[in-house]
Amino acid sequence: MIIAGRHLKEYFPVKGVRGAYVRAVDDVSIDVHEGEIVGLVGESGSGKSTLGRLLVRLLDPTAGDVLFNIPDSELREYDDALERNDKQMVKKISSKYSILRLKGSRLKMFRREVGIVFQDPYSSLDPRMSIADIIAEPMIETGLYKRAEALERAEELLEEVQLPRDFAYRYPHELSGGQRQRVAIARGIATNPKFVVLDEPTSALDVSVQAEILVLLRELREKHNMAMLFITHNISVVSYMADRIYVMYAGKLLEYGPKTQVIRSPRHPYTQALISAVPEVGREMRRVVLKGDVPNLVMPPAGCRFHPRCPVAVAECGWDSGEVSEAINRLIEARYAELSGKLSVKPKGPLALEVRGISAQQLKQIVDAESESTKALKAIYSIKDAGDHVEVSLAAPREPRLVPVGPGHAAACILLEGKEGK
Amino acid sequence: MARRGGLGGFWNEERKLSLQVFLSNKPAVVGLVIVLIYIADALIVQFAPWLLGLKNPYALTPNYINPIPQPPSWKYPLGTTYPGVNLLTAIIKAIRVDLGLSVAVVLPGAGLGIVIGIIATYIGGWVDDLLMRITDIFFSVPYLVLAIAVGYVLGRDITSMIIALIIVWWPLYARYTRSVTLQVRELTFIEAARAAGASNAKIMFRHILPNALPPVLVQMSMDLGTVMLVISALAFIGFLPVSNFPELGYLTTLGLNYINTAPWTILFPGIVIVIFAVSVYLLGMGLMDVINPRRRSSL
Repeated sequence: MIIAGRHLKEYFPVKGVRGAYVRAVDDVSIDVHEGEIVGLVGESGSGKSTLGRLLVRLLDPTAGDVLFNIPDSELREYDDALERNDKQMVKKISSKYSILRLKGSRLKMFRREVGIVFQDPYSSLDPRMSIADIIAEPMIETGLYKRAEALERAEELLEEVQLPRDFAYRYPHELSGGQRQRVAIARGIATNPKFVVLDEPTSALDVSVQAEILVLLRELREKHNMAMLFITHNISVVSYMADRIYVMYAGKLLEYGPKTQVIRSPRHPYTQALISAVPEVGREMRRVVLKGDVPNLVMPPAGCRFHPRCPVAVAECGWDSGEVSEAINRLIEARYAELSGKLSVKPKGPLALEVRGISAQQLKQIVDAESESTKALKAIYSIKDAGDHVEVSLAAPREPRLVPVGPGHAAACILLEGKEGK
Repeated sequence: MARRGGLGGFWNEERKLSLQVFLSNKPAVVGLVIVLIYIADALIVQFAPWLLGLKNPYALTPNYINPIPQPPSWKYPLGTTYPGVNLLTAIIKAIRVDLGLSVAVVLPGAGLGIVIGIIATYIGGWVDDLLMRITDIFFSVPYLVLAIAVGYVLGRDITSMIIALIIVWWPLYARYTRSVTLQVRELTFIEAARAAGASNAKIMFRHILPNALPPVLVQMSMDLGTVMLVISALAFIGFLPVSNFPELGYLTTLGLNYINTAPWTILFPGIVIVIFAVSVYLLGMGLMDVINPRRRSSL
């Protein structure tokens, strides 16, 4: 395994608010094999770029570990040890392969083995350095070559990314977006790394240039057999590039698996919605349209983070009293105007509500009639009269686990977990 | 490689483009020419006063035989001011003093401010907070008042005036350098340099500073004019210790009693101050164009 992230968490403190964190990446594990392209898809703000930066140690994780260049057998041992909670064994293996405690020359050695290409080719190149200096920087800084040799090699790299050699002594502002991104790629692969993170390398470019860059990246992979983590929000790009796909949403990993499996038979409702949005020639589109936005990562939804937008959500998905009371209020405003003003809903603790101005019987009828269209109502577990008000209690949420659904294919949805957890 | 030879030379593509951008801004070229004339004047008075036939280059030459201001004539092209001072030669001498004083204020003030601004961003945390609160204190007092107060404490001479103005001026640069540095620090190429394995110091000096300094340098060029105005204002209100000191602000005060009959005594030194302030501003705008990537790429 060239790189393996284990239970990675990255919490960014919210400025000015004590104890509040943006949970950009929350308990994500990821594997990248030698020479493989892994696609990482997700919406903006899903934490995919943060995960990419964690893997090349541009960020230090809040928790979790990143293991570099670890033999598969030892990685298996490490995972077993994690499962058993065998701290000594975990520590022993981690001390050999973890990148998190690297310092000085060993960190530079690691930097030589990895590269990164950023999304925006306009801000990722220092405007005051010549192209040759930009490409040579990683080679010089990691001590791979002396300056003269590095500049020599920079010209070769330009050729490799299909730019003329004499671009070496130009400056970034003289280049177009596509040319700049080629320079950024040349810098990313300058030290002949074994693993490169490509953070949306094409999304700032126009479509015709995008295709050229993708072809170039595939050629480079063939030639140097480098593993890549291809971060993108574009499903069709990932289906062209990747061998395996990871799907992230709101800091969590929802599904991963071989490309064909994830694209052809996605198992997580979110992946299904994503893939349904890709148009295809000769097929009628059956798009699953998601409502709403990516949730707030400071206070993410309980249970499954996708549940507020999920088209097939069920009772245990993680609804809390706040969400249910809001759903009831909206429903009353929209469909039961005669009750509006009379009825009041108050959350009492995370899983209980107090409703006034309606009988239990009436509320039950409404809930039964509307729970298909208003998913939050599905969480209502019991409705009881309690004197002057109605007590509503909700089903306890369940945290989804990644369950295997095929060879090397897993998804985190409680619908896939079967009966075992109940 | 042919192009590599060009890289070592001074006139590489980058510099040529900068010049091109600057020259395309006509007012800036005018500003530059005027500023160069001022500088030439100052240098000649300093090193070769005989070229202009100045006998007493570092002081005013009064003529008490005929102290009343004379209108411009062939003998005195800009007229004379009280007490019989030839305004043309007085202004020529004064430009050296004013330019020298504003450089003496701006260079150390900016240097101090830049160093403090960089330290603030580099260390961050409470050091940053402390330094920025100190600059806040300086900002909250009008600089002229502060300069007078500091000058009063230090004593009434040229050195104390320079020191007072430096003390008033550095917070501006500290604040400005800090804000530009913070801006540059957020750009992706800094992260790219980190991914390339560059050390913090190297990132600071190879990537952040070269990108943060140009706007500060533009600010410095513009401030030459502002500082000259302030110095003149201070001299005007009597901050100067010596009575025959050739200084533009002081020159305007000499003819004050004759303002109704001899307006040129105030007009000419005043115009010289204003022209300098305006040209330095135009020059600064031209330099601003040079460092603005959008202007560069439009050519």
